[in-house]
Amino acid sequence: MRCKASDSVASKIRIKKKYHLIMGGGLTVLVAALCLLSFIYMPHNPNEMNLGLRFVGPGQNPAFLLGTDNFGRDILSRIIYGSRSVLLVCFVAVALGSLAGSLLGAIAAIAKGPLSAVIMRSIDGLMAFPGILLAMMMVAAVGKGQEGAVAAIGVFMIPPFARLVYSLILDSENLLFIKAAKSYGISRRRLLAKHYLPLLLPRLITQFTACIGAAIMIETSLSFLGLGIQPPNASWGLMLNEARQNFLQYPYLAVGPGVAIALSVLGFNLLGDGLNDLLIRRRS
Amino acid sequence: MLNYLYKRISHAVEVLLLVSIITFAVLMWIPGDAAQLILGSDATPEKLAALRSALGLDRPWYLQYWDWLKGFVSFDLGKSYLFGQDVSTLIRQRLPVTMSIAVFSMIIATVISIVLGILAAIRKNTAVDYVSTGLMQLGSSVPAFWIGMMSIVYLGLELQWFPIAGYVPPERGFVAYLNSIALPSMVLAIGEIGMLLRTVRTSMLDALSQDFMDMARAKGLSSFTIYFKYALRSAMIAPSNVIGLQFAKLVGGTVVVESVFSLPGIGRLILVAVEQRDVFLLLGLVMFITTLVIAIALLVDIAVMFINPRIRVEMQGE
Repeated sequence: MRCKASDSVASKIRIKKKYHLIMGGGLTVLVAALCLLSFIYMPHNPNEMNLGLRFVGPGQNPAFLLGTDNFGRDILSRIIYGSRSVLLVCFVAVALGSLAGSLLGAIAAIAKGPLSAVIMRSIDGLMAFPGILLAMMMVAAVGKGQEGAVAAIGVFMIPPFARLVYSLILDSENLLFIKAAKSYGISRRRLLAKHYLPLLLPRLITQFTACIGAAIMIETSLSFLGLGIQPPNASWGLMLNEARQNFLQYPYLAVGPGVAIALSVLGFNLLGDGLNDLLIRRRS
Repeated sequence: MLNYLYKRISHAVEVLLLVSIITFAVLMWIPGDAAQLILGSDATPEKLAALRSALGLDRPWYLQYWDWLKGFVSFDLGKSYLFGQDVSTLIRQRLPVTMSIAVFSMIIATVISIVLGILAAIRKNTAVDYVSTGLMQLGSSVPAFWIGMMSIVYLGLELQWFPIAGYVPPERGFVAYLNSIALPSMVLAIGEIGMLLRTVRTSMLDALSQDFMDMARAKGLSSFTIYFKYALRSAMIAPSNVIGLQFAKLVGGTVVVESVFSLPGIGRLILVAVEQRDVFLLLGLVMFITTLVIAIALLVDIAVMFINPRIRVEMQGE
């Protein structure tokens, strides 16, 4: 009896987890498709102003499905175009941050001694900055715009990857095949590339996916504060920032970009959760 | 116990020192300096050089850092060139606003996530569980500034439940004060609930599977006593630690929320400091907030130490 009950619970959980993977994957593919679409087709030029057609509500004019903003620019086109800048900034930033973080973590774990202490303490220091404060500070140093956003998000992503790689390598030091490799005098670089990397890869992929979600949140926050991508370019956060002047009369201005942000963050978070179960739990 | 306390405090000081070095190093990068900021872009090089040496900006960075650190230890955060005032004065003027919404939203988030977390754990794998987990996922995906804008339109403008912007200090009527910070605090709380709810649910599930729960049931205690007196008490330890961590995220999150609701708080000050590249103002603000957050995390740790009998006993055994 008992066994049967727990079986059904387990299958229920499995379905729930699969649903995470499917939902997350679907939303992520949707966002990626939007980004690809921006290279092929957009209903209008996203930066083209049309002062005669300002504040056209959604559905009022079939040529502008989601309406137009305070400069008469097509909101749908700007959302499609905005996906490009958001995804580009976030992917580049998380890729750079994860690379730097993983390398630092690996060096700290393999080198040991004072070097390891210096690296891991600095990572502790980076972790201690509350919220997006570190990102804002980086923007102050590098400057507003795309480069500033990449630097800000990149630095933000170093600590989680460094900590993950550091602790995973320390945990797996006693595994038999690592000991065996060490016993025949393998070089450190080869040990990392041939033995640790395949071991760490599933964790790194999961972390990467989840971090993209977090990165989108930071990028849109920075753009919303006017510190990220600069006008006239389109970015979801910036669109919300621009909508602030008029959204009390025209709330629809803020709906589209917000939904786009929420769905893409949700997509990457769910995908991260799903991958976590698929790649990590199943192994252990 | 004293040993543990000493270790925790010295670690906190160490981290703060590191943060100050990182902050200083990053901000030294900024092209153009305070002299440029004060005199404007059309100042002559001689004038700039004279002001630099008067302000001590021409000395090597480690000497500047050392001076700044000496000031910081004696609660002197330096001067903002933008406002021409002491950074500590600027912070003191704006702190009540930021602390009000931070504390208020922490209370809202804690209450909601404890109630929902307990329900989700007791009714595990039922509709209540799924709905609260779903809400949690959604809450951590939707950006706070967007929820803020939407709530201004629907709760502020259409239903007129709350004022849509501005801050009323408590001296000018407590109800008006609560009303002015209610909406920002709720918006900020939504982002915090996710993580907290997850922790409460997990540790409550853990507590429910303990032997003492069977014991309590066998004694025939009412389910209220079982859940609230027995399970909740042992389940509150992990979440208390998370509350300390969440508070850090929350203080960072106020930047965005203060901007949406036009509240004159520290977050707005940070934004101005970043936009205008006022190095000493930014340095002071970052260090002040980080110190605050680390101090709160330390206090929470110490409080948990007294609440949690397991840690207390372990420490006596040391």
